Amino acid sequence: MSSNSALENMIGKVLDQKEAELISQIDSAYQESLDNLESSRGKLEAERTRIVEAARKQAENLKRQIIGSARLAARNQELLTIENAVNKAFEEAKKKLQASNSQDSYKELLKHMIEESISAVGGSNAVIIECNKNDAELVRKVVSELQNSGKVQQARVSDQYIDVLGGIRIKSADGTMTYDNTLDSRIERLKPLIRKNIAQMLRGVE
Amino acid sequence: MVAKGRIVWISGPAVRADGMSTAKMYETVEVGESKLIGEVIRLTGDIAFIQVYESTSGLKPGEPVIGTGQPLSVLLGPGIIGKIYDGIQRPLDEIAAKSGAYIGRGVMTSPVDMKKKYRFKPSVKKDDQVGPGSILGTVEETPLLTHRILVPPNHPGGKITDIASEGDYDIEHMIATTEKGGGEKVQLKMYHKWPVRKPRPYAERYDPTVPLVTGQRVIDTYFPIAKGGTGAIPGGFGTGKTVTLHQIAKWADSKVVVYIGCGERGNEMTEVLVEFPHLIDPRSGRPLMERTVLVANTSNMPVAAREASIYTGVTIAEYYRDMGYDVVLVADSTSRWAEALREMSGRLEEMPAEEGYPSYLASRLAEFYERAGRVRALGSPERAGSVTLVGAVSPSGADFTEPVTTHTIRFIKTFWALDTRLAYSRHYPSINWMNSYSGYLEDVSKWWKENVSGEWYNLRAESYHVLQREDTLKEIVRLLGPEALPDEEKLVLEVARMVKIGILQQNSFDKIDTYCSPQKQVKMVGLMVKFYKEAQKALKAGTPLADIRAMPIIPSLLKSKFEIPEDQLNKFDELDRQINEQFHKATAAGGEGAMTEKKEAEVVA
Amino acid sequence: MTTTSYGIEYTKVAELKGPLMIIDGVTKVSFDELVEIETVDGEHRLGRVLEVGFGKAIVQVFEGTTGLTIKGTKAKFTGKTMEMPVSQELLGRVFDGLGKPNDGLPDPIADKFLDVNGEPMNPERREYPTSFIQTGVSVIDGMLTLVRGQKLPIFSGSGMAHNILAAQIARQASVVGTKEDFAVVFAAIGVQYSEAQYFKRSLEESGALRRSVLFLNLADDPAIERIITPRVALTVAEYLAFDLGMHVLAILTDMTNYAEALREISAAREEVPGRKGYPGYLYTDLANNYERAGRIKGKNGSVTQVPILSMPADDITHPIPDLTGYITEGQIVLGRDLFRKGIYPPVNVLMSLSRLMKDGVGEGKTRSDHMEVGNQLYDAYSRAQEVRALSEIVGRAGLTGVDLKYLDTGDKFEQHFLKQAPDENRTLEETLTRAWDVLSGLPEGELTKIKEKHVRQYYKG
Repeated sequence: MSSNSALENMIGKVLDQKEAELISQIDSAYQESLDNLESSRGKLEAERTRIVEAARKQAENLKRQIIGSARLAARNQELLTIENAVNKAFEEAKKKLQASNSQDSYKELLKHMIEESISAVGGSNAVIIECNKNDAELVRKVVSELQNSGKVQQARVSDQYIDVLGGIRIKSADGTMTYDNTLDSRIERLKPLIRKNIAQMLRGVE
Repeated sequence: MVAKGRIVWISGPAVRADGMSTAKMYETVEVGESKLIGEVIRLTGDIAFIQVYESTSGLKPGEPVIGTGQPLSVLLGPGIIGKIYDGIQRPLDEIAAKSGAYIGRGVMTSPVDMKKKYRFKPSVKKDDQVGPGSILGTVEETPLLTHRILVPPNHPGGKITDIASEGDYDIEHMIATTEKGGGEKVQLKMYHKWPVRKPRPYAERYDPTVPLVTGQRVIDTYFPIAKGGTGAIPGGFGTGKTVTLHQIAKWADSKVVVYIGCGERGNEMTEVLVEFPHLIDPRSGRPLMERTVLVANTSNMPVAAREASIYTGVTIAEYYRDMGYDVVLVADSTSRWAEALREMSGRLEEMPAEEGYPSYLASRLAEFYERAGRVRALGSPERAGSVTLVGAVSPSGADFTEPVTTHTIRFIKTFWALDTRLAYSRHYPSINWMNSYSGYLEDVSKWWKENVSGEWYNLRAESYHVLQREDTLKEIVRLLGPEALPDEEKLVLEVARMVKIGILQQNSFDKIDTYCSPQKQVKMVGLMVKFYKEAQKALKAGTPLADIRAMPIIPSLLKSKFEIPEDQLNKFDELDRQINEQFHKATAAGGEGAMTEKKEAEVVA
Repeated sequence: MTTTSYGIEYTKVAELKGPLMIIDGVTKVSFDELVEIETVDGEHRLGRVLEVGFGKAIVQVFEGTTGLTIKGTKAKFTGKTMEMPVSQELLGRVFDGLGKPNDGLPDPIADKFLDVNGEPMNPERREYPTSFIQTGVSVIDGMLTLVRGQKLPIFSGSGMAHNILAAQIARQASVVGTKEDFAVVFAAIGVQYSEAQYFKRSLEESGALRRSVLFLNLADDPAIERIITPRVALTVAEYLAFDLGMHVLAILTDMTNYAEALREISAAREEVPGRKGYPGYLYTDLANNYERAGRIKGKNGSVTQVPILSMPADDITHPIPDLTGYITEGQIVLGRDLFRKGIYPPVNVLMSLSRLMKDGVGEGKTRSDHMEVGNQLYDAYSRAQEVRALSEIVGRAGLTGVDLKYLDTGDKFEQHFLKQAPDENRTLEETLTRAWDVLSGLPEGELTKIKEKHVRQYYKG
């Protein structure tokens, strides 16, 4: 018995020892896993923050990009709308101009245009004057008046009519010099300057 | 009769006009409807070639050209100091008042305020004999500068028949009348005009023997320039040319500084304008602007006016010299001036010499540098004045063999060679000590001996010798590494490094280091040489080099330039004491070490 | 660009030569005037009067003379210099190299028309630039500080990362302590489509496109047009800055293509060349563009210029980088070695410089040790490079203690301070901390450029 009990004792001791060992192992494993958990929580936390931060950054970028693009697109649409309106205004203006070609003031304008154009291409040289079919008669009249008063010497009105709203175009006799004083070109010249005013009116800005 | 012609051809700043047979060479003309200012630079038949000092954009053939009968001149009188002019003496603030932030064209202005009243004190009296250059009286132009009113150099001379009494006058006021031999009477104002291309006459030339103290160690101690001397400072971009020139303009001990920004950056002129009124002259305690005149023709301003700006500047400098003052003229950069010559020459279709520069480049450079000098001024009382000329050169590709650099070298005596490699390693000022030279070294040594220290010449030579030895040793190091050298030579490398960092390098942006008085320079170099000698002795006595290298005195010596201000120079005595102490300790310990080694050797034997 | 104006049309073309057209029989033509050209096929081009005498004008044709004929070509002299219509609406728009819309939208409605050549700014009216711009790039903020109103070019070589760097600066540039955003004016001068596209996309992604104006002259666009591209761009930049009070960052790439266009015209005019065939006035001409940067007294805005140029054969002494360096306020030089090592941004700091740094940093502006730290980094890296060269001869074993430290400091500088990601935006504080990390690898006694008190405060050795 005694030997048995001694054995049992031994076994008991060993078991105890093992148990203690196991418990301590379990303890330490538990501790370790706690530590691990703790440290990986830190890491995870950091990782999480990083991902969230990156996502936030990306989202912000995306937001900026989307908002930026949308604003820009809206602005561009506005520009197109204004441009359409401006063009319409010009078309209207052209129609009105065409209708006014019969008035007296138009004759004065033509006279002024011819004088100005002749002086631009060098004054006394021989010139050819071009105009549209409707104005031809009026232009001939103005030219002969000018010739009679001695303001213009060698000027000839061309039989080849040009397709314009009104006004005239002058060429030197040798064809090397041209001065365009048609209403069309005048409008084109003024367009960039007038557009601002029209656009301001459309936007309601004084 | 003044010439009246019309434009027949325009190409940039060059204009040809016909009907100009009565025009004179170098006459100023008004070009076009908007009256741009130009100068006749060639006459062929009745065709005049004109360089226009303003943008010719919009000019048409057929527009008029009208002569003025006068050569290009500057107005010389009180009111010049503190101004900033363009290349033809138009004040930039007046131009701004008329045309805003951008420089408009055809702006007519007066170079100085004609209405401002100055307190005139006569220094001659009725019946005194005066001649060209004589002083009629004085006005206080700025608190720093008494302006001496001079009889113009081209005046016939004579007797004073009338002189204004002390009082406040504007400069148009007739302050004196002279009469020669009972005949012709000449009335004099506080100003006169002088053609810029004609050097102002003087009585006699003196040898330059007084150094221009700039407060820059590498200049004053190693490569000095004399008052009335000439110097050039060539360097590629980024080598700190402009900073060095600004330093000279700030700290040089001259009475007047003329700074010409010729084809350089706009912001650099602005920097001078912003900084100088706040900087205090270390000798007078007054703002530096009270002695400075700026001529600014920046790189984007018309190129012909850039050509003229050099002459405008040097004529103003000569005028203050004639009052008996020392004047420094700094021109940044003569290369841009040469390029302006080249551009005009090209437009005139002249036969080019090297790299497209005109063949007269060398003679123009010579004429310019010849206007430097220390002289006895004309007239009475007897007085000496000087013009020191310092020109920057901007060699293309940092190549010193290009025409402007090579020609300039022929006409100057001090050469500060800026080195791109030094600049890359942030060694500023990047003046290369092996390639630079000064022809005034012997001339100014007497001044140093009498005014600062008898030691200067030797200290300079000894420290420079270390640098020379380092230069030859560097080759060996490059091939074999520093360990191949014996300790004595390693010490040379160490001390050379200390001289470079502690003395040659100078930080212009540090409050203390920006200016270093001659006294401080001698002390610093003295301690460096002392350290070297002590270290040599210690090495011989057996102190290991490593111990010497580890001495705490080394960083103290290297930082003394910005840690010890001018008013605490006695702190150098403390450093001197530390050198003694640390070497004493080292030799005591090193000696023991050597002894032990010796004993061990004996034991082994 | 407006293309409609008064003027006489001439048809007497005497000669066509390279990019030049010589017209006879002209009267009342002025120097520098804009010319509208119509080809026989009705195509429109623009030109400028280079030289004029009685009855004869030499015109430079921006779109080139290809397809022009002696007979049938019309040239209208407009009586004015080239102008650009400007208004706030330009922001968010894309134009070609001459300033004509390139984005399918109408001509801008002009607030006013400005001469594209500009006028020289009066140095007396300039405001000296002193406001620090934080770019978020350590090497620039720490050692090559950019300030508002500065002109600081990037010298690069073919294939290097200059565009990435420029785009990063454009995205990140900010003035610390203010909410003001920079407007970006971008001029592509003869660059490839992909490069221009990269830049545009980068602005788009950061939402900066609506405060940007783009001018695109691409590699296959007419070469002579490039003479105008920087000029229209800078005209708009000046308008935004000094009329509307905005802070403008103008990026011009690639100025080498610009200079080549100049050379082409000069050769056609048979002018006496300066170096390497470039005209003698190259310096002045470049300066007329670069000097259009800065600030004006009493006005809010500023124009900060970052021109980019590729150095032919990586040669910094070539006339284009050489003359540029003489005009600009410093330069950022990209190095082939660093680029090959894969270091971004590959800035060769020793060859780089910012002249205005001293005025933009320090007590009250950034931090009191900023300048000294920058200087010490230069010094340390320069020593490190020397030691590197030496170690290649004698080996690492042949180096002494301090030299070894410099060797390591050099590596640390490149890896820890210089290197950063193209989307990494570092604060100045972080940049300076990194700088002290690098410097703390050296013995204290080596920090000869730093004041005692700063060493005590920041040194971590």
